[in-house]
Amino acid sequence: MTVTMEPSLGDVHAVVEEVWSSFLGAEEPILPLPTPMPPGGWSAAITVSGGWDAQVTVQLTDPGAVHVTSTMLMCGEDDCTDEDLRDALGELVNMVGGNIKSLMAGAAVLSLPLVGHGDISPGSHLVEVCRLDLTWRGEPVVVTVHTPPPPAVA
Amino acid sequence: MKILVVDDSRVMRQIVIRTLRQSGHAGHDIVEAENGREGLEAVQREAPDLVLSDWNMPEMSGIDFLTTLRASGGTVPFGFVTSEGSAAMRAQAEAAGAAFLIAKPFTPEAFDEALGTVLGAST
Repeated sequence: MTVTMEPSLGDVHAVVEEVWSSFLGAEEPILPLPTPMPPGGWSAAITVSGGWDAQVTVQLTDPGAVHVTSTMLMCGEDDCTDEDLRDALGELVNMVGGNIKSLMAGAAVLSLPLVGHGDISPGSHLVEVCRLDLTWRGEPVVVTVHTPPPPAVA
Repeated sequence: MKILVVDDSRVMRQIVIRTLRQSGHAGHDIVEAENGREGLEAVQREAPDLVLSDWNMPEMSGIDFLTTLRASGGTVPFGFVTSEGSAAMRAQAEAAGAAFLIAKPFTPEAFDEALGTVLGAST
């Protein structure tokens, strides 16, 4: 029996597209176009622990984070506070992480989201197994999944 | 009709309330709470006709909220609106007494389908 310990790139892409099209407007789809991610910006991460261990992270530029927040809140971009950004990006990674978790076998628990300005480093015991470089409204969006490395074969 | 919306995210509470309107369920009184503990207090205080609750929240999770509510004799219809829609979680929700589970991201159609049975019986 084969036990899959990492989601496929296609599955993660499908989850991200569904979240974006549902809550951020189907008229402005998220595109599979790599755009260089400048330093800084916002990161939102959530961890899964139990039958499947992972960290799912979404990275956005400052303008991208404001676009997401103003769209989800249906408010003006100038009206978005840092608290609004933390709330919106936390929900974003909660949905992406929760849906990826649902694809994996085994009972596991989703953490509360962690959101910060800057990078959120995955645990040192985790390695990147999936990375999506995307573009939404001209801004880069990066989604990564980190999991523990597979056990070494003797 | 009074609906209690429980979610630690203000953004998600707004989206849930907006989706209620978009799904044809406008005009209800809406009460909000930020976690399960506040949700329990709001049920006592507001006597809602329906509870829509997130699952993953600080202080008291949605499943603990529902379990405590049912253990205390509360029978208000209860539905989850959560980012995890696996078969195992749906089964756990149903066993605890939830009427439905709506997985995020959701559509107005999904809301209408889930709420139709609960609200349709009492409106």
